[in-house]
Amino acid sequence: MFLQHYFVNWLDKRIPAANEFSLNHRNIFIFPSKFGLLYLALCSLLFLLGTNYQNNLMLLLCYFLLAVFLVTLLTSYSNFAQLKVKLGRMPEVFAHDEIHLSLWCNADSANSITQHGIVNVGIMGQKMSQWFDADTIDNPLILTYQSQRRGWHTLPRITFSTYYPLGLYKCWTHLAFSRKILVYPKPVSCGVSLQHVSSASNIAHDQHSAHHAVQNNDDFSHLKIYQQGEPLHHVAWKQLAKGRGMYSKQFDGLEHVDMWLLMPTCSSSEVEEQLGKLCHQVQELSRQGHKFGLDLHYLQLSPDTGESHRTACLKALALYPHNYQSSAFAQAAGQ
Amino acid sequence: MNIKLLFLRLITPRSRPTTLKDRQQQSNNPAFLLLSSIVFLFSLSLLDTIIGWILLLVICSAIIRCAIFFAYQKHIPTLRTLNLLAILSIVGLAYSAWPLGLLITMVNLLVLACALKLMQVRTQRDVYQLITSLFFLIGCGFIFHQSMAYTLLYALLIFGVIIALGFFHAPQVDFKQQLKRTLILTLQALPIGLLLFFLMPQLPPLWQTPKAKSMETGLADKITPGDIAQLSQSSELAFRATFKNQAPMASERYWRAIVMEDFDGRSWQVHSARKQQRQINQFRRQEFSPVLTGSTIDYDVIAEPTQQNWLFGLDIATPLSLKSQGEIWQSADFLLISQQKLHSKYHYSVRSYTQAISAQTTSEFDRQLSLQTPQQGNPRTQKWISQLRAQYPNDQDLIRVLLTNFTQENFVYTLRPKPMFIDPIDVFLFEERAGFCSHYASAMAYSLRLAGIPARIVAGYQGGELVAKPNQEQYLSVYQYDAHAWVEAWDKQTGWQRIDPTAAVAPERITMGLRQAMLDEGSFLADSPFALAKFTNIALFNNLRLFLADMDYNWSRWVIGFDQQKQQALFKRIVGTLTTQRLALLGLAIVSFIAILLGLFFVPHWLRQKPDPMQEWYMRAVKLIESHIGARPSWQGPQDFDNHVNKKLPPTVSQTFADITELYVQIKYRASNDIQSIDSGRRQSLKSIKNAVKRLKKQLKGLPHHKLP
Repeated sequence: MFLQHYFVNWLDKRIPAANEFSLNHRNIFIFPSKFGLLYLALCSLLFLLGTNYQNNLMLLLCYFLLAVFLVTLLTSYSNFAQLKVKLGRMPEVFAHDEIHLSLWCNADSANSITQHGIVNVGIMGQKMSQWFDADTIDNPLILTYQSQRRGWHTLPRITFSTYYPLGLYKCWTHLAFSRKILVYPKPVSCGVSLQHVSSASNIAHDQHSAHHAVQNNDDFSHLKIYQQGEPLHHVAWKQLAKGRGMYSKQFDGLEHVDMWLLMPTCSSSEVEEQLGKLCHQVQELSRQGHKFGLDLHYLQLSPDTGESHRTACLKALALYPHNYQSSAFAQAAGQ
Repeated sequence: MNIKLLFLRLITPRSRPTTLKDRQQQSNNPAFLLLSSIVFLFSLSLLDTIIGWILLLVICSAIIRCAIFFAYQKHIPTLRTLNLLAILSIVGLAYSAWPLGLLITMVNLLVLACALKLMQVRTQRDVYQLITSLFFLIGCGFIFHQSMAYTLLYALLIFGVIIALGFFHAPQVDFKQQLKRTLILTLQALPIGLLLFFLMPQLPPLWQTPKAKSMETGLADKITPGDIAQLSQSSELAFRATFKNQAPMASERYWRAIVMEDFDGRSWQVHSARKQQRQINQFRRQEFSPVLTGSTIDYDVIAEPTQQNWLFGLDIATPLSLKSQGEIWQSADFLLISQQKLHSKYHYSVRSYTQAISAQTTSEFDRQLSLQTPQQGNPRTQKWISQLRAQYPNDQDLIRVLLTNFTQENFVYTLRPKPMFIDPIDVFLFEERAGFCSHYASAMAYSLRLAGIPARIVAGYQGGELVAKPNQEQYLSVYQYDAHAWVEAWDKQTGWQRIDPTAAVAPERITMGLRQAMLDEGSFLADSPFALAKFTNIALFNNLRLFLADMDYNWSRWVIGFDQQKQQALFKRIVGTLTTQRLALLGLAIVSFIAILLGLFFVPHWLRQKPDPMQEWYMRAVKLIESHIGARPSWQGPQDFDNHVNKKLPPTVSQTFADITELYVQIKYRASNDIQSIDSGRRQSLKSIKNAVKRLKKQLKGLPHHKLP
């Protein structure tokens, strides 16, 4: 355990996190593979046999194989040192979902590939789950792993290894990417419950204000010429199909009123579920293009629409402090 | 499947298998085709060592692999089938190979294992096992074959194995590329390998190793002149001798190998009492030492493998070097006998005392062996000799008369004598009067014995082809067709003397060699119509033959014959006197030489990899900016990033960065039409970008750093 800790620290110093890597002597490890050791055993056997039979050709073969072993050390290294790795864009991740890391290997030098051979890729400390052939690379390489809980995550180190050219050496590296990944709470499906609040300042005290259940399908009011930026699911496809042009359906929504999603006060064991529910509602409301605000007590996001609002909400949910609710709950109980 | 298709298949990249498992089991990897042919070719090269049914198994597995490669067959045999086959094969091998000796059994076992492994290769591990055993097997091949041609073949096989290994690690590369890369790798490794070979200490054998039992070749230890069997003629090399000084005259090149004293009326062979005596002496470590007088000749011999113990030497030969003294036994009939049978080329050094034969003493034991004649048979000869003996009581007179009889009575030297079954010596002397060396030697020795003169037959070689070039030691190649037999007789006055009746009948055989002697008869190498040795009259062929012989000589001498002694001589030539200090320095020099060699191979490669300095400076600027505004997304080009910076940072800074970007873009993406102007422009731009980056660094100093959220 101590050793592992020491190793991780050492690795952090040796190969600090970065956005993209081109390998060099600082981050490449190289050691004879199992086959390499077998090969050395073969060489010593040939030496013994050649000496005992006083057979110079056998000795010559033995020395030649040794020389090949020596030369491959450098070939192997210089080949692996050509590898350039970049982390691509990542889709949104919800807790306990699979994270798909997209890795771009030798993407810039696609026209003049200088690296060869099969490269195995995997999360450090786990089984190598992916591989690519540097001669016919097919970017991006998707590496999947299980995300844990919501919040900021540093990416695990990713191991690349190759046995090129002859399998005598294993060349490998553990790369850390400096990009952090924000894991959103896992959505828990539920109905949307928005609260109509007169002003944002007194939400906390206005627990019993009238709830206004929002139907998923609002009443349709009229059609309007589609303008870029409006949600696609509001497009009147039927009209478009009939050739009447692109119209956007308008609903008798609640857009004129400030509607808020509210984090209820609850025990710490329920926090995650509540966050999940809120997450689901944020997703749902954004999908429908509603205007809404989010009040998490520790942070309030005023009502808005659009993609940036949605990500802001999700981020706020993801970063909801773990112990915030319990202290608030204790306060409430104390009163 | 025709060749074109096969070729296409080899050069076009294969479709990419989707999973790791697929890749490992990828059965259409050309490496399998290569490995199959390597196993097959290797087995063919050891045709007389490998048992027939194992060869069949090899062919089977090669066919299975090919069928899978060309997709005639989808599945490799199941593990259970193969295990059963393996057990059966082991039992079969134990039954059929055990009498052949340990070494051959081991080789057969290895070939068998390779064939079975080839059939069942499934995982990467199997591949590694197969390839390791193939390397080892090819190494073992050198026990059986050491000629240049076989070395070349095995070198090619090794090369093939390395290519196959490469294919398993880069399966998508086409064949030509793979060939090129492996060739480069091999050429880089070869000088290092040679260096190690010549300079790593040569050790004496560490322990006794099992030896192959195989057909004895070369001289037979029994001569039956009257048999149908003609003198086997072959242009194969028997041995080569390198002379330190002048080589002896052609008529003096009598290479003694075997002495035959037991005559039964038809054939001569080594006497059993002689063998016994030799064994007893060897057991008691009582080595015979001849009387050594007169002038000497020093030479090295590289004998071809004969699977026998006889060595060759000019009379009277004694082992010269310490190594040879330890390995060679001197026998009372002046033979050199190797302690080990000659399984591979054997190198020894000898000093011969050319006039010492007459000074040798003889024992009662020798006399008795050399006088023994059969009671029955050859009555006419018996009668004739008793008449002659009455006429010539002096031994020397009698010998002279016998020899003149051969010249006067129209005796003919031929390689195609008629068979003589009953009383062969009578028939030869009084009817046929035609035969080759052993007929004459046999008749002569028998006659002398009948006359009471101790005599015996010596078998060996006579003659050889001398190659004398300026600045090089003379060497003599002796071929199998130089085999010869002559007589040795004991006389109180002269001691042992060599009597060669063939020389009396066909003097050109002795002075010019068999080819000249047989010019009229045309029987020289009649069985081998394409032997190069036959075409000496065609200059091209003769030059080719001599060139090949010369290459082979140097090969045997410097590669196969390279030993501790030669190595020490080499060291001496490099460092002068052999002190530990100097040897240590030599070792250091070798290590650094190898390091320099490796450096030479790879430094150009690394230099090429070094990024463009322009790029380097630009990246430095980007890094500086990044520390203030956060990482540049990978999809942002230099221009986009510049715009982004423009928005985020104060104008002084962004202006500097804009300059840098412009310089970089200009150099990097400008169309190149004039190399000269680009070069000078480049230098200038490099200077400007350097200054700009330094400026940028100063300007950024006061600004707050970017923090991760």
